[in-house]
Amino acid sequence: MATVEAIKLHKRYHDFVALDDVTLRAESGQLVTLLGPSGCGKSTTLRCLAGFLDPEGGDITLDGESILKLPSNRRGFGVVFQNYALFPHMTVAENIGYGLRLQKCPKPDMARRVGEAVDLVRLNGLEDRLPRQISGGQQQRVALARALVMKPRLLLLDEPLANLDARLRDEVRWLIRDLQQQSGITAFYVTHDQSEAMAMSDMVAVMKAGRVAQFATPREIYQKPVERYVADFTGEANFLACQSVAEQGSGQYRIEAGGTVLTVAGVQGLNGRAELLVRPETLRLAAPDEAADFNGRIVKCAFVGASQLCEIALPDGGTLKLTAAPNTPVHVGDAAAVVMDRAQAWLMPEVAP
Amino acid sequence: MSAAGATFGSGRSVGLGFSLLIVALYVFLLMPLVTIVGASFTSGLMIEFPPQGFSLQWYQEFLSRKDLVDGLLMSLRVAAITAVVTTVIAVMAALAGQAMAGRMAGWFHLGMTLPLLVPELLTAVGLLFFLYKIGLGKTVLGLQFGHILMAFPYAYVSITAALRQVPPSLEEASSSMGATGWQTFRLVILPLVMPGVAMGAIFAFINSFDLYTISLLLKPIGGNTLPLALFDFLTYEFKPTAAAAATLSILLSLVGVVLVQRLVGLQRAF
Repeated sequence: MATVEAIKLHKRYHDFVALDDVTLRAESGQLVTLLGPSGCGKSTTLRCLAGFLDPEGGDITLDGESILKLPSNRRGFGVVFQNYALFPHMTVAENIGYGLRLQKCPKPDMARRVGEAVDLVRLNGLEDRLPRQISGGQQQRVALARALVMKPRLLLLDEPLANLDARLRDEVRWLIRDLQQQSGITAFYVTHDQSEAMAMSDMVAVMKAGRVAQFATPREIYQKPVERYVADFTGEANFLACQSVAEQGSGQYRIEAGGTVLTVAGVQGLNGRAELLVRPETLRLAAPDEAADFNGRIVKCAFVGASQLCEIALPDGGTLKLTAAPNTPVHVGDAAAVVMDRAQAWLMPEVAP
Repeated sequence: MSAAGATFGSGRSVGLGFSLLIVALYVFLLMPLVTIVGASFTSGLMIEFPPQGFSLQWYQEFLSRKDLVDGLLMSLRVAAITAVVTTVIAVMAALAGQAMAGRMAGWFHLGMTLPLLVPELLTAVGLLFFLYKIGLGKTVLGLQFGHILMAFPYAYVSITAALRQVPPSLEEASSSMGATGWQTFRLVILPLVMPGVAMGAIFAFINSFDLYTISLLLKPIGGNTLPLALFDFLTYEFKPTAAAAATLSILLSLVGVVLVQRLVGLQRAF
């Protein structure tokens, strides 16, 4: 459909730098997620794309052509808001048909397209209800249909699930992803929920204080983060301080961490201080006669049903969180030997240069 | 509840006291109204309450007094024009105020409500000088101008309050679907703030209908609004005709409110 690029966007409010050199690219048909805590600039970026805000520097292009000068009503983008932003005095059908009505779309044509959109989001039978007469999940589906019926060149979603409860969130999430893939629409999706970002996106941009900390596939973001901030924001993580770091070429390093000497992969061109990222699911307690990567002592332990969560103190002061099988005998104070999937460990700087 | 009861006596007596207070308030508010309406139906020759007997003679008398009827017609006309013009300007001003940010918006809001803060007499004197300067001294147009100025803050405040209830995302959603600013206003904003706009219009109408000081100084030569005509009348004769006039104008205001309510539906807010 359309390739969209944000190039070196800058935006400030008085003294606060909202966007600092934000560059992103969504290939045709991709869903790109902007992930980060509140105030990181993800919504500001989306609002610049939508044309609700003017960046002070940089450019936004659609298929290589700048659209920065186009006002929001001529960009032809669909926007879905966190608070749904349905028109409270219009019925579901009128809300969905609003854009077509503005285009002076002939009545029968409009009825057909609204009907198709209603089918798409499975709201049949609710066409004549007012927004306040339907549930939050249904309202967000109306908002989605209202955006999609216009066949937008780009779909922008600003935390569309944030106001929904957990069960609905799942349902609407998959609906959004399905519809986006079926129609092949390029989309930007703003969220602060890492699991949402992982599950839905082709690409994820983790944002930090107005900058893009890392822009990559969900897998790369999770497994090969460029800094601790990214690793922290994308899921449970253990960080081990490393004593000696020696590069062995091609992104391999020989390090000492947690009382063990290891060879692990890491960010290219590291020198000086580095941390080892170990995701809890890459760790397990060693079998009785197995060679351990780390030896420590169990300091915390909790049974959570499907598994047990353990925290293990290492001799150099570091700690490791890991999950053990539900019936493994683990007790606070016991010595513990831990095996790590070395291929999945990742060496990175605490803060990217 | 028990703590409150221990401090203020039993909950029952607090409830009773509160009810009595409410009743007293209503009596206080409604007494003049009841008195005037009652007095207008008296068959006696003085404004008195309770009235003596029942008759419609004072209504007849009112309708036969050209000075009072002319005053009523002038007041109605001025108030109607004030309501329409003020509402249109107030909608535009409220939209402008909404679009501003931060400190600027605060100053704008203060400026728009200034006529409420300046004593009416000062505004009237100032306007009189100004209107003479531009050749509108003692004309109906000048009077109209004064009324619009005085009624404006009421309409502005009412409409601004309504606009604040409309989330900005509605405007953005409308724009993203291709609406121009005007289309967004007509199809989304205006229908949603209509109850506030109607309230603003009613406030403006009633305010204009009641104005005395402004009218006294700015009235056209040979013309009188109803409050002025009534005051002149009462200076020389203390007859129930005035009560009949007042009752009629209360009735007219009520009809106006009900009509607007029917047309736009004051309850049809969010």
